[in-house]
This record gives sequence, structure tokens and C-alpha cells, in this order.
Amino acid sequence: MRRFLKTNSLSIVFLVLFLAALSGQAVAGHADFNEEQVRHGDPEITLSRYLVSSDFGTAVMENWQSEYLQFTLFILLTVWLLQRGSPESKELDKSGRESDEQQKVGPHAQQNSPRWAKVAGIRRTLYENSLVIVMTSIWLATWFAQSVTGVTQYNSERLDHQMDAVSWWHYLGRPDFWEKTLQNWQSEFLAVGSMAIFAVYLRQRGSPESKPVGAPHTATGIEG
Amino acid sequence: MGARFLVFACLIALAATGCGTGERGDDAAAVTARFHAALEAGDGQAACQELSEDTASKLEQQEKKPCEKAILGLELPKGGSVAVQRVQMLSAYTSLAEGSTDFLNEGPEGWKISSAGCKPTAPGRPYDCELEG
Repeated sequence: MRRFLKTNSLSIVFLVLFLAALSGQAVAGHADFNEEQVRHGDPEITLSRYLVSSDFGTAVMENWQSEYLQFTLFILLTVWLLQRGSPESKELDKSGRESDEQQKVGPHAQQNSPRWAKVAGIRRTLYENSLVIVMTSIWLATWFAQSVTGVTQYNSERLDHQMDAVSWWHYLGRPDFWEKTLQNWQSEFLAVGSMAIFAVYLRQRGSPESKPVGAPHTATGIEG
Repeated sequence: MGARFLVFACLIALAATGCGTGERGDDAAAVTARFHAALEAGDGQAACQELSEDTASKLEQQEKKPCEKAILGLELPKGGSVAVQRVQMLSAYTSLAEGSTDFLNEGPEGWKISSAGCKPTAPGRPYDCELEG
């Protein structure tokens, strides 16, 4: 059990942090929602009602979709795009999908390679792209969920101001949807782009996200 | 893993938007129907029972009369049937077949009318309401 915890500590710690932060967001969001209700002379709601509200749904989904987009793009673009000196980049002569030999697929698969890496055809094509396929699916699903919860929240505010509701399709063209979307995207793109550059010159001893402390700034594709 | 996430995201979306809105919409429509039926019957007290506290109090201040008297002096539709109803979180609107719209909010005592006798003005602008909270 201790060994299991130690060898899976990264995912376990992040799962715990995620649940703690989501719970904190729920409690703080509920309090904030009720403060707003009181300011408008409207009745407060219970925490359980808040958890299934569009207010909470939008707040969660708009962040999820941008995170999954960030990692999807990072996984996909680093196949072809390079950054000289960055451990986040492949070596400068390895841009592209690489040969079957380098990727250890088909006849070049090893004995302990995943089963679908050894076969040819649709199964291998699917497996070769499975990470991006799943990440893209989650991104699209959460972005769709953001739009569905967002239109309800948007319409609720419109009704409170004696305006009629808009359709989901109409909402996709409203500034509210794009402001919520782009404010999250810009921060993700900034964080990833700046990390790729910072890691050229800065180090974190022992982290695989950094080059070894003594590695030269020009060394590309080396992880510590 | 991906499929689980998709299902979870869709459940959240459904829970946040769809669940129970049909029944709650019917409840909101019933409040509107009772309100306009009370006005048709000349029963100001019954009509005022369907108003939110804020709206009733604002009406009394404006008209300087008790709600049950003031409400009968407004040019609100008397009777009528609800043709359109829509619930969004704790807010709803109901439109009468005759063309007038009411806005409602949901609280511990159920749906209450916050604005009534509303007509659209221009696209993207608030409705113009005979009674406003």
C-alpha cells in the first residue's frame, strides 16, 4: 500500500488538491451567489441547489475546457513545433511524427509494447493518437457544457432585467460566451508559452520539467 | 477515463439546465394564470398574493394605496391563457396568448411575479412593464 502511494503520489496528490479546491470553490461560490441574491432582494438558496445551478456549472466548465484545450494543443503542437533550448521541446532534428522505428510500432514494437502498438491498421492509428483524441473529446464536451450552463445563467440575468431569453445557438455569438471562453484561453496560452521559454534559462533541480541544473541553455529536449 | 469525463460533463450540463424545469415552468404558468384570473374577478387581494414582496411594496409606495386597491387601477390584462413559459435558474417569464408578458422569481414560497403587463420595446432592450418590481 505504501509502495502504491509512493509510486502514484503525483496523481493522488493532484486528485486530492482538485477535490479540495473544487469543494472550496463550491462553498465560496455559494456564499458569493447568496450575497448577490441578498443585494437584489432575492431569496438565498441552499448549497445542494447551488451545486446543480448553472452559476456553479459555468464557473467549473469554463475552467475545465480551457485546461483541456491547453494540454491538447501542447501535446499536438509539440509534435511539429520546436523551442531551441527548452526541455518542453523535442530535439531540433526530430520535428514531426517520427519513424516507426523511433516510435517502436509495428515490426519495431518491443515485447512489452502495448498490444495496439504492435498491430497495423485502424487500431494502431487510434492508439497512436489516443491521448489527443481523449483530451480533445473532453475539451469539446466541457466547452459544450460551458455553453449550455452559460446560456441558462445569461438568460436568468436577462429575465431579472425584464428581457427575453435567447436560444443556445444565439448565445454562441454573444460577447458573454466569448469573454468567458477567451479570458480562460489567454491565461493558459501565456502560462504554457512562458514556461517553455523560462525553462530555457531557469532550472528546478530534480524536476523532469526542467533541464539538469548544469545543462547549457542551448541544449534542447533534455529533461532532468 | 475520457468516456467517464464526458458522461460527467453532460450530467452536470443537464442537472444545471434541464432537470425539473418543465414542472417548475407549469408552476410559474399557474401563478400567472391565477394572477390574471384574480384581476378579471376584481379580486385585488388574490392578485397581490401572487406578487413578490418588493413589487407589492413598490406599487403601494407609487400609488399611495394598499396593494389590493392599487393593482386594480393598473392597465393589466384581465384573464387570459399562458401561451409561452420559460424557466432559467430562479427566474421565469410567462407570456399570455393575448401578447403580454410577466416576469417571475422563485423563492421559499414558490414563484412570485416581479413584473407584469410587459411589452417588448426594441431588440436587446428591456421590456416596458405596467407593473415593475
